[in-house]
Amino acid sequence: MNSVKNRKVLVVEDSRLIHKMYEVMLQPTTLLSAFNGLEALDKLSQSPDVDFIILDINMPKMTGLEFLAQVKTNPALAKIPVIIVSTDGKEEEVARGLQAGAVAYLRKPFQREDLLKIVNRIETRQSAA
Amino acid sequence: MSEDYNMTDPPPVADAPAGRDAPARAGRDAMATLRRAQQLVSDAQAAIEEASRVVGQGGGAGPAGGAEARLAVAESERLELTGRLAEVEHQVGRLMTLYVATYQLHATLDPAEVQSTIAEIVLNLIGAEQFVLLLIDDEDKGYEVRLMQGEANSRWEQTERYTGGDPLVDAALLDGGLRFGPTEESPALAVVPLRVQDLTMGALVILKLLDHKPAFVKEDHDLLDLLGAHAASAIFASRVYAKTARKLHTLESLIRLVNRG
Repeated sequence: MNSVKNRKVLVVEDSRLIHKMYEVMLQPTTLLSAFNGLEALDKLSQSPDVDFIILDINMPKMTGLEFLAQVKTNPALAKIPVIIVSTDGKEEEVARGLQAGAVAYLRKPFQREDLLKIVNRIETRQSAA
Repeated sequence: MSEDYNMTDPPPVADAPAGRDAPARAGRDAMATLRRAQQLVSDAQAAIEEASRVVGQGGGAGPAGGAEARLAVAESERLELTGRLAEVEHQVGRLMTLYVATYQLHATLDPAEVQSTIAEIVLNLIGAEQFVLLLIDDEDKGYEVRLMQGEANSRWEQTERYTGGDPLVDAALLDGGLRFGPTEESPALAVVPLRVQDLTMGALVILKLLDHKPAFVKEDHDLLDLLGAHAASAIFASRVYAKTARKLHTLESLIRLVNRG
């Protein structure tokens, strides 16, 4: 149930610790790493074929929500599923993220099983589509 | 459809293995156990399919009854194994977290980066919104406030040096034991002494958790234990390295001066 296929995932997160966490938790997935929204847009322009995006909210230079808005207004990128993973856990923050187009919102700290459940659901939907 | 996941109540798990290499070693063991459990679930699934096939083909009441009984047993085994698999997966996730925290703490010899990693662990893996990091001053052996995250309460706001006064912090610094609060005299939710051998290098004082995290969970205790040992040794190593690098730089400057003269 909780296996992660070899997919390409963009991780947008300003914490090196959390990048390492995804690297360990999602192996053998290929990860593209960005430390803010601007860097993530640059990565996406070079590799738009990512299967999904894991996105933090509070980051320097360009926040997660600003990045998400840019992704959703770009027809070439708008269909990429985005999972928000953030320490912002207030209901209004969650609602804001989901309204902006994220498919799921996971609060930090999180368990590996919870992330993998979301990833599996995304993969199931993608294979059904 | 959008989904909202909130982790506040994970299932109970066993205690963390002791020792510095334990997270990596235990992680490997847990991965092997996970693979075995996945194989068992897969075998049980195959047995159920086989039993279903036999039931489907069965003509008389006798053989079909026997096959149904085997099917029920296989289904029961499958449920049990699925439960065990979920437990093992949870354990693997927990060990991964401990491994990553340990790895990242020792990934640098820059004291500022070590402090930053401690802050990342406390915020992202434990879910603390307000915390203070006290570290020993090598010269006068007092404790400096080296890091303050969030809007700490008035006791800490204007403090650059900790001179005592919070009973939980004082006790943890004195005997090196982990303390949990709050108490009438202390607002601290947890005080983690950072110890290297017999020296208490400082303490991590957690004052408030994130709003969506009502209390510490079992995994947090493992992480707090890990921080107590590994954060201290990472800070100690980075300080020794920084001191040595400074001395080396001074010596090199002196040698250059002598050579010029």
